[in-house]
Amino acid sequence: MLYLYIWLFPILAGALSWLLKSEKLNKLLILIHSVIHLGFGLALFFPGRRLSAALNIDNYSVWFFAVSALLYFAVAIYTLQQDQRLSPRQSSIYAVCLMAFVASMDGANLSRDLGLIWVFVETTTLASAMLISFEHHKQSLEAAWKYLFICSIGIALAFMGILLLIIAQPATPSLSLDRIIQRGYWINSFWLKLSFVFMLIGFGTKVGLAPMHFWLPDAHSEAPAGISALLSGALLNTALLPLLRMQKVLSAAQLGYLASQLFIALGLASLFVAAVFILKVKNYKRLLAYSSIENMGIILIAFALGDLAGKAGLIHTLGHSLIKAAFFLSAGNLYSLYKAKDYNRCSGLLSRDPNTGWLWLICFVFIIGMPPSPLFFSELYIALGLLASGNYFVLALWFILLASIVYGLGKASLEICMGYSEEKTRLPFSQYLPQAMLLLLAVAVPIAVLLLRP
Amino acid sequence: MADVLLVIFGVSLLFASITNMLSGIVKILVWQGLILFLLTILKTTQLNLWEFAFVALETIVFKAILIPWFIQDTINKNGIIREVEPSVSNFFSLGVMTAIFAFGFFIALWSGKSSPKLYPLHFGIAFSAILKGLFIIIANKKLITHLMGYLIMENGIFLLSLAIGSDMPHIVSLGVSLDIMLSILIAVLFINKISSTFQEGDSDELSILKD
Repeated sequence: MLYLYIWLFPILAGALSWLLKSEKLNKLLILIHSVIHLGFGLALFFPGRRLSAALNIDNYSVWFFAVSALLYFAVAIYTLQQDQRLSPRQSSIYAVCLMAFVASMDGANLSRDLGLIWVFVETTTLASAMLISFEHHKQSLEAAWKYLFICSIGIALAFMGILLLIIAQPATPSLSLDRIIQRGYWINSFWLKLSFVFMLIGFGTKVGLAPMHFWLPDAHSEAPAGISALLSGALLNTALLPLLRMQKVLSAAQLGYLASQLFIALGLASLFVAAVFILKVKNYKRLLAYSSIENMGIILIAFALGDLAGKAGLIHTLGHSLIKAAFFLSAGNLYSLYKAKDYNRCSGLLSRDPNTGWLWLICFVFIIGMPPSPLFFSELYIALGLLASGNYFVLALWFILLASIVYGLGKASLEICMGYSEEKTRLPFSQYLPQAMLLLLAVAVPIAVLLLRP
Repeated sequence: MADVLLVIFGVSLLFASITNMLSGIVKILVWQGLILFLLTILKTTQLNLWEFAFVALETIVFKAILIPWFIQDTINKNGIIREVEPSVSNFFSLGVMTAIFAFGFFIALWSGKSSPKLYPLHFGIAFSAILKGLFIIIANKKLITHLMGYLIMENGIFLLSLAIGSDMPHIVSLGVSLDIMLSILIAVLFINKISSTFQEGDSDELSILKD
C-alpha cells in the first residue's frame, strides 16, 4: 500500500504532464511532488517517529528518505527559474522521468524486502538513463549508454546475488530482511558469501565504487545540473542501502568480518582512484564526480568499522549528499555563466558572479571536511575508529589520499574563483537559494539530530 | 527431456564462441528463448493459465521473437556489414568457454553437496551462460554484440531462477520481467540512437569522455 502512495502522485501528475505538455505546469508539478515528498520525510521524523513505526520503516530508511527529500526539494526550486531550453514535449518527458526516478528511489529506500529493493533500484536506472541523455549530443549519449549498460550488468549481477541468497536459505526462503536476519544462524555460509560478493559487485557498480565506477564521472558530468545533484546526493545512497542491509544479514550469520574486510578494500580502492583522477582532470563536473567516488569510499570504510564510526558514516552520508548537491547546482550556475566545463576557461567567478563564487568556495571548504562542515566530525570519528580497531595502515593511506584530493579540488576551486572578469552577471534568485539552504542544513541537521535524540 | 534441453542450451553457448556471424548469435538467442519456454513448462509443477501466459510472453514473445527481430532489424537498417569483430580468436574464445564450463560445473558440485535441492547440470549451465555473456561483452568491440552478450547473460539468470524452482518468490518473476524491459530500452532507444550518431557502432568510438 505504501508503494501505491509513493507512485500515486507521479503517475497522475505524469499523465497530466503528458496530456497538457506545458513547461510551466511541469515545473509546478515537480515542485508540488517535492513538497509532498518533503512533508512525508518530515512526518517520518516527527513527532516521536510514530508514522515510521506504524509503517514499519526503520531508521536507515527514514534517514536516506529524508536526505533524498531535501535534495529533491532543492532541485525543484533550482529548476523553477532555470532556462532549460526544452520543447514542451521534452519538458514533459523530463518531468515524468524525474518523478519516476524519485519515486523509484523512495521505493528502494523504504522497502525491507531485498527483491523489491532490487526492482526499485532497477527502475531508477530505467528512469534516470533518459534524464542523463537529455541534451542529445554525442557526449550525453555516450554517458547515458555507459550508465545504462554498465549499471544493467551490475544490477543483473546483484539479481544473481539475490537468487544465490534464496539458495542459501534452508527452507521456505524469503527475501524479507527481517526474516532472513531472524534465521541468520541457519543460512548456508558458502552460498551467503557468494551471494554477498555478487551483490557487492552489483549494487557497488551503482554506488560507483572502484573499480566498477567507470560510468559515474561520465554520467554526472553530462547530466543537467539538477539531475547530477540527485544522482550524486541521492541515488548513490539508495544503491548503498542494500549493501548496508546485507552487512546486517552477514553479521547475523556470524560473517560480519567478511563484509567489513570487503568494504574496507573497496573503500580504499575508491579513495585511490579518486585521488589519482582528481589531480588529472580539468572538467569541474568530473572533479565533483570523482569526489563522490571518494566520499562513497569513506562511507563504506565507516560502515565497515561500525559502532561510533558507523554512526559517523550516517552523518557523512547526509553531509556529503547535501554539500555535493549544492556543489553540483553551483556547477550548473558556473556552466550557464561560462558555457564551458574545463576549469581553465572559467576563472574570475568571484568577480563575475560573487554569489556563485562564494557558494562554490563554501562548498569546497565543506566538502574537504573543514569545520563547521559535518564531514569534519564524521571523518574525525572514522579516523578514531580506524585507530581504535588497529587499522593504522588504512588510516595512513587514507590521510595521504585525502591530502591529494584536497590539493586537486583546492587547485581547481581557486582557479575558478580567483582572477578578474570584465563581465558581471546575476542569475535568478532561485539559482542561489537552494545551495545556501542545503549548506545551512548540512551544518544544522546533524546538530539538531544530536540535540533531539531521546 | 529437460536434460536434453539443458545440454542443447550448453551447446548453443559453445556455438556462440565460434561463430563470426552476427546473425548466428541472433539465431542462438531465438533458440535459447524457445528452450527457456520449454524448460519452464517442464520444470514447473503447477502452472495456471495466467502464469502460462506470463511465461510465454516473457520467453517466446520477448526473448525468442521481439528482441532478436529488433536486433536483426538494427543490423539491416544500419548496414552493419562487418561481423562480430572479437578482440580474441575463435580458438581462444572456445578455450575460455571450456574453462567457464569447467568452473560452472565445479561450482555446481558445490551446490550438489551443500544444497541438495539444486540440480548440478542445471546450475552449471546457468552459471556458465552468465559468465559467457560477460565474456562476450568484454571480448567484443561492437555495441550490438555487447547487447547480445547481455541478453545471453540474462538468459543465464533466467535459467538460474528456474533452478530454484518452486522456492522462487514471485518477486523474482517481476525481476526477470524488468530485466527484459531494460533489454528493450537498451535495444530500442540506445542502439538505434547510437548507431545513427556514431558511424561504426564500436565501443572504441565511445571514448570522447575519458580522463
